[in-house]
Amino acid sequence: MRITQGCFSFLPDLTDEQISRQVQYCLEQGWAVNIEFTDDPHPRNHFWEMWGLPMFDLRDAAGVMMELNECRKVYGNSYIRLSAFDSSHGWESVRLSFIVNRPKEEPGFRLERHEMAGRNIRYTTRSYAADRPEGRRYD
Amino acid sequence: MPPNELMTASIPTNRRSPPEENNMNMHSMTVRGKDRYKSGVMEYKKMGYWEPDYVPKDTDVIALFRVTPQDGVDPIEASAAVAGESSTATWTVVWTDRLTAAEKYRAKCYRVDPVPNSPGQYFAYIAYDIDLFEPGSIANLSASIIGNVFGFKPLKALRLEDMRLPVAYVKTFQGPATGIVVERERMDKFGRPLLGATVKPKLGLSGRNYGRVVYEALKGGLDFTKDDENINSQPFMHWRERFLYCMEAVNKAQAASGEIKGTYLNVTAGTMEDMYERAEFAKELGSVIIMIDLVIGYTAIQSMAKWARRNDMILHLHRAGHSTYTRQRSHGVSFRVIAKWMRLAGVDHIHAGTVVGKLEGDPATTRGYYDICREDYNPARLEHGVFFDQHWASLNKLMPVASGGIHAGQMHQLLDHLGEDVILQFGGGTIGHPMGIQAGATANRVALEAMILARNEGRDYLHEGPEILAKAAETCTPLKSALEVWKDVTFNYESTDMPDYVPTPSVAM
Amino acid sequence: MDVDTTPMTDAVNLRDELEAVGIEEILSQLDRELIGLKPVKTRIREIASLLLIERIRKRMGLASGAPTLHMSFTGNPGTGKTTVALRIASILHRLGFVRRGQVVSVTRDELVGQYIGHTAPKTKEILKKAMGGVLFIDEAYYLHRPDNERDYGQEAIEILLQVMETQREDLVVILAGYGDRMDKFFASNPGFRSRIAHHIDFPDYADDELLAIAELMLRDMNYGFTPDARAEFVRYIALRRNQPLFSNARSIRNALDRLRLRQANRLVADLDHILTADDIRSIEASDVLASRVFGKGGKSAEAG
Repeated sequence: MRITQGCFSFLPDLTDEQISRQVQYCLEQGWAVNIEFTDDPHPRNHFWEMWGLPMFDLRDAAGVMMELNECRKVYGNSYIRLSAFDSSHGWESVRLSFIVNRPKEEPGFRLERHEMAGRNIRYTTRSYAADRPEGRRYD
Repeated sequence: MPPNELMTASIPTNRRSPPEENNMNMHSMTVRGKDRYKSGVMEYKKMGYWEPDYVPKDTDVIALFRVTPQDGVDPIEASAAVAGESSTATWTVVWTDRLTAAEKYRAKCYRVDPVPNSPGQYFAYIAYDIDLFEPGSIANLSASIIGNVFGFKPLKALRLEDMRLPVAYVKTFQGPATGIVVERERMDKFGRPLLGATVKPKLGLSGRNYGRVVYEALKGGLDFTKDDENINSQPFMHWRERFLYCMEAVNKAQAASGEIKGTYLNVTAGTMEDMYERAEFAKELGSVIIMIDLVIGYTAIQSMAKWARRNDMILHLHRAGHSTYTRQRSHGVSFRVIAKWMRLAGVDHIHAGTVVGKLEGDPATTRGYYDICREDYNPARLEHGVFFDQHWASLNKLMPVASGGIHAGQMHQLLDHLGEDVILQFGGGTIGHPMGIQAGATANRVALEAMILARNEGRDYLHEGPEILAKAAETCTPLKSALEVWKDVTFNYESTDMPDYVPTPSVAM
Repeated sequence: MDVDTTPMTDAVNLRDELEAVGIEEILSQLDRELIGLKPVKTRIREIASLLLIERIRKRMGLASGAPTLHMSFTGNPGTGKTTVALRIASILHRLGFVRRGQVVSVTRDELVGQYIGHTAPKTKEILKKAMGGVLFIDEAYYLHRPDNERDYGQEAIEILLQVMETQREDLVVILAGYGDRMDKFFASNPGFRSRIAHHIDFPDYADDELLAIAELMLRDMNYGFTPDARAEFVRYIALRRNQPLFSNARSIRNALDRLRLRQANRLVADLDHILTADDIRSIEASDVLASRVFGKGGKSAEAG
């Protein structure tokens, strides 16, 4: 299964050159780019771990790519995404976010149904990966 | 588009024009002193509803009407009558006016201009004191401004073109329950338009069949599906059936994709009690979004907006019925006014036109609607039909929805016309795909992502659009076949509602 | 990335090429705005020519990998190193050897941390900001403290060396400082020496050059010497040069700031005088002569 979070998940995985162009776009908009990684890609897991702080005041994508490569060396079998933050008034949130690294196997999610009165069902989505302890989910 | 210096016609501002520019606007005719309250009938323009020297206050509500007087009726008198009938006047002088601060409460027409290239039509600018309106009530605002005057006999036709809402008044409204930024945060979707589809056929699907369409479309890559405006609770599918099957579909698609998904559950019903019941059930089932129709009325819309804010629900508005009064150029209410009212009222989504699709929408006018929804400040832009500077005082932004007769092959044009903060709804363009609904959804999503990628890379995506799509289709068969099936579909009809002011090139200063 | 999309060619009109990139404009700006520095300007012309040819070679498919462009600027303070770094950055940018052309100017404090684990993030932070442009490290020898084996500067040096080697197409590093100290620094850090392609030595300004600089600066501020004041300022330069902490053009700028102060004081002291534009523009001999440089001591650090 392929998780399709982020802006470009329906395209073939981006090459580093393509990633770098997107990063350059973000920098030119004045956004700070952050590298985030996780081994629990639950759709409502908003807070992936931060690889350092968002990178402010960069001019060129090479700086981000340098960090991304460092991050891949350590978390190459996790999900890694880039998020770009816009600090302008009225937005002050993420402007672009896309996955740049995936584990070799993506086990996906189990949907649990808890049946209740009146045909009502409570749904719970569970990451298969999260069945295992943190750090060993994609061993 | 460069700003207003390109206009052929002069720019009406809040200020009064100099007399030599337009001699219609010269004199005040107001009768003053004890003659003003002599019993009998007096012309509106003499009663104080025509005040060409009046300078609107920052706290005034200003309305711009397109007035078409009956033959032989003085346009100033007709405009003054509109001011009078939309504020304090009645057909005769009443002494009870003298018990009030009548001059403050009188709406004042302060400017009347002939409409360019439209003989017999006039733009009347009318200022209303803020005390004329109850805070936070669209019902009261609309009852005042359009409640009484549209059937007035001396007028052939009347249209409310635009309004300037003072910040002091804007601040009395909640505004969009969620807003674009928070909606994106909740949905975890950034950097691209959202994708939706209205379930088709509109009528007749059972709950189980209906849910199938929702599941296929969401799993295929859409972010949202949508009930149509008239899907409420009919014999073929009662609302609880729809809600239950739709939420099964949403949750399954969410687990299958790892993405947050939603379906606009239409809670429109005959009474508020029914609507609340349906909304509560949608919440209980874990839906992120509900939907209402414009025809439920402004008060019901505001009630649902407050409910949505209290219950963390995105509120989609389908502008059902609006064309009955927004479409004709000479009579009714412009959609830009409705858009402003709806931003105040507090909905999160509003259908605002596609430009390229099957429904009415001239590009410049549509651009004006989108700006009203999405910007914190709208400068007057006559070429987009926006007549006033409008500050929104950080009221949440309203996500426009483009829906009706659009397909993947137009992605570059859609992105160019409508920008990034918009929901593109491909109903037929998803469900009508020859390889099935999932394939239809995937085609749209791939086309969109490829276009955003290209735009961000700095490519001239508007002109290279077809190449970009063709390239993306090389690795995506569904897109390839979508491009093939709908390659020639366009809807090129003359718009019935366009801006009256057209930019012309001028010598650079 | 700025990929050079020009098709491969086998004949190039050098004049067109030069005009197309606008290098001549920067070089003549350098000639115009910087007084003296003859050898520096010559070196920069040479480097620019080399890069221009390198660029053409690249287009003809004759280039072999990204050239090493890191430089060292040696010379005393106030000899124009920072200004020249800015010009070099725009030359590199126009020729496509750096992608953005910004100059990030730092000293040891911005690269080296205070405790374990602090240095690498600090150095990388600066490197990331300099990517696409020029990293100018002033008084680079402070990175190396031979007396302290565990100095964190060593960590910064290692990161710098690695990036200078592996990311040559991403940034250009300029190391700057006093000539003698830089020599020692290179002697004990051969890694740097081998990665530096261009050494440029900035000589001290001659007295007449400093005078010309002073007059240029005054003109930019709408001031001017009276003939007497000018003569006194010539004397001032000769005296100042031999006092401590002399820093070439920078000392001249400081001296001019004090001259303006004294001139203003002089004017305000006579409230009954009706001022003309000339009065306000003129620096007089008395303004110059009030400097402590002419006094007996001449001991103070940055004498007034």
